[in-house]
Amino acid sequence: MKTIVVAVVGNPNSGKSTLINAMCGTNLKVGNWPGVTVEKKTAILRLNNLIVHLVDLPGIYSLNPCTQEEEIARDFLVKEKPDLIINVVDSTNFERNLYLTIQLLELGIPVIMALNVYDEAKKKELEFNIDKLENWLGIRVIPTVATKKDGIKEVIGAINEMGLNSTSPKKLTYRDDVEKAVKIVEDALKVANYPIFQKYPVRWVTLKLLEGDKFVMKTMGLKGDEPFLKDAKSIFNKFEGHDEIHSMFAEIRYKIANKIAKEILRNRGRQGRDLTERIDRVVLNRFLALPVFLVSMWFVFKLAFDFSTPISDWIEFVISGFILKWATYILELLHSPNWLISLTTDGVIQGVGAVIVFIPPISVMMFMITLLEGSGYLARVAFVMDKLMHSIGLHGKSFIPMLLGFGCNVPSIYATRILETERDKKLTAFLVPLMSCGARLPVYVIFINTFFQSHGATVLWSLYMLGIFMAIVLGFVLKKTLYKGSVPFFVMELPPYRVPVLRDLVFQTWQKLKHFVVKAGTYILAMSVIMWFLLNTPYGIEKHNSILGKTGRTLSPVFEPLGFGTWEASASLVAGLIAKEVIISTMVQIYGLDGPVEKRNGNSKLSQDLVEVGVSFVIALKDAFLNLISLFKVKALSTEEDEKENPLMGRLRDAFTPLSAYSFLVFVLFYWPCVIVGIAMKNEFGSFKIYGQLMLVHSLVAWLMAVLVYQGGKILGF
Amino acid sequence: MKLSDLKVGEKAKIVSIHGKGITKRRLMDMGIVSGEILIVEKVAPLGDPVDIVVKGYHLSLRKLETEEIEVEVLS
Repeated sequence: MKTIVVAVVGNPNSGKSTLINAMCGTNLKVGNWPGVTVEKKTAILRLNNLIVHLVDLPGIYSLNPCTQEEEIARDFLVKEKPDLIINVVDSTNFERNLYLTIQLLELGIPVIMALNVYDEAKKKELEFNIDKLENWLGIRVIPTVATKKDGIKEVIGAINEMGLNSTSPKKLTYRDDVEKAVKIVEDALKVANYPIFQKYPVRWVTLKLLEGDKFVMKTMGLKGDEPFLKDAKSIFNKFEGHDEIHSMFAEIRYKIANKIAKEILRNRGRQGRDLTERIDRVVLNRFLALPVFLVSMWFVFKLAFDFSTPISDWIEFVISGFILKWATYILELLHSPNWLISLTTDGVIQGVGAVIVFIPPISVMMFMITLLEGSGYLARVAFVMDKLMHSIGLHGKSFIPMLLGFGCNVPSIYATRILETERDKKLTAFLVPLMSCGARLPVYVIFINTFFQSHGATVLWSLYMLGIFMAIVLGFVLKKTLYKGSVPFFVMELPPYRVPVLRDLVFQTWQKLKHFVVKAGTYILAMSVIMWFLLNTPYGIEKHNSILGKTGRTLSPVFEPLGFGTWEASASLVAGLIAKEVIISTMVQIYGLDGPVEKRNGNSKLSQDLVEVGVSFVIALKDAFLNLISLFKVKALSTEEDEKENPLMGRLRDAFTPLSAYSFLVFVLFYWPCVIVGIAMKNEFGSFKIYGQLMLVHSLVAWLMAVLVYQGGKILGF
Repeated sequence: MKLSDLKVGEKAKIVSIHGKGITKRRLMDMGIVSGEILIVEKVAPLGDPVDIVVKGYHLSLRKLETEEIEVEVLS
């Protein structure tokens, strides 16, 4: 059976993903291109007598690499030489899409054009002469509506046909002078018999040499001042006013695109405003844009967190209540030793729980992000916020991960994927942990209730503001140091609004979730077990003699200038690496305030407990939907557990002064982001390097700020 | 006249694109080529970037980039 490789290429927003999903369904494998965070989808299609390896290339506007995506696409096309290209074209934006098609044809690889979003083009009364277009380009052109799976069968049929007996596309003839220059170069190259021709298509190499493409020149060991290149370039009179010859080529290609479009496309529609423009008149209106934007962001945030929190809480309730209880019960029935019970319950089950509670926020958030991206609103967010974000060296789109960071930093790291350059992704990821996440809130709340009851809101507000302020400062510093170099261009399409297909949204969300559970799950589980050992070895020993206690004691001098140089504080901070709310649960354990294991064994029966689990799930769902429709959170975190006097509060009052408590909170706000953020970063950026840098920089910032607060406060007489 | 000097609603023909390197290349790839007609559609609420229509689609550019584009106002 014959096997062929088919590359799917097209502009961003051309509906490429939808087309691929429609063709392959659940067959798709999603991963990354080696070394970068650009998504790579592959699938294998089995047709009659043909096996098709389908590779999705990143959405690109051109084959002159200006971005990482374009470089990946170019490299794949020229180095891997697929047998066939499916070029997905947005028929409502034909001319600009055709500019890419023209470059694809230069490669000499057979092309099938999927003239996508054909229904919208029809609605706009755009009339294509498909036969004429096929003749012009010498390729198959198939109208498709990927969202409705229209034309998909035809595309697959064409792949089958062309895969079995492919024909090279017809050469698209350029202007006379270009063809003359091409001839000079081609002849010279043929004489010199460059080995590159065995690898790369002749016409493409020739055109790239004329354009001065550095990649091709380097591959061939040419400098660009060779006589035949000089001769060829001298044909063009001063590059028609351009400093660089490739600018002239861009114009030449666009002229061809324009000519073809004029001949095969008739616009019978009125030139009135379309739906997108009418929406944008409101959404991007000078005065309305910001309010509309704030409301929609508030809604995204609310949906992502307020909706998922009750469900996460329920999962936590089931794990730390029902599952812990019955696991203990079973282990006791089996006469397991105490240490094993403790390891299983406090280490393994809590660890698994730590992964599972992230499932609701991550899935809702990924869903929302895909929705924002697919609908076209993400580009508007970037448009509205760019000025602000640009001032700290970021892109307008960075606003989304930063905003989501206030809920949880972990999905924020995944959300950096919406950014276009590796630099933007990394810089944003670097600043995200400064957005005070929900896990830090329980720490703030218990300290505020202990020390600052009368100024609670002000203290809380000051911490959030301090985080934002530091993001601006650090953004500014990083822009000048670690991430210097030119801020990338902001030349961004504002795509038409479209209703995303549900199956794409679900697929995307599912992919991310699977990735998180499988990859993060193992690490987090391992971390929890390690932490258990740190706190409990040797088993049964006093907490301050455990490894964690000893570590705390060794570290405590570091925190002396910050006002909390006790082993208990240091040990809790170390444990906070797992998640910042663990600081509190560790303090509870260290201060010996948690009940002994027996407490978990109530007298209730399994059936009663099961009923309780079910009932609480219904309540959680109800809460989730109530949160969604209510303006303010129904179930606020602070009212839940803190009205009653928590036994921990008394211990804290002995160990901290109000000043050292605030210094501690400042430290908690800034110091190393939790290991789950680190794992998300490894998933996204391929290594723990950025997380390492982040831990160092953020912990240093935390230490300095807390010293400043404590020592400054002492001088001021607090 | 530069593209950055245009007011919202004004129509202009692109005369030339200054600058070099990646930004210029990207602009041209997006259809900012000499002879092309563009309209300034709107300005972002914070004053930057702008939204222009070129080749029948919407493109947003920062002031930094619109300053590089020489145009000729059409009435």
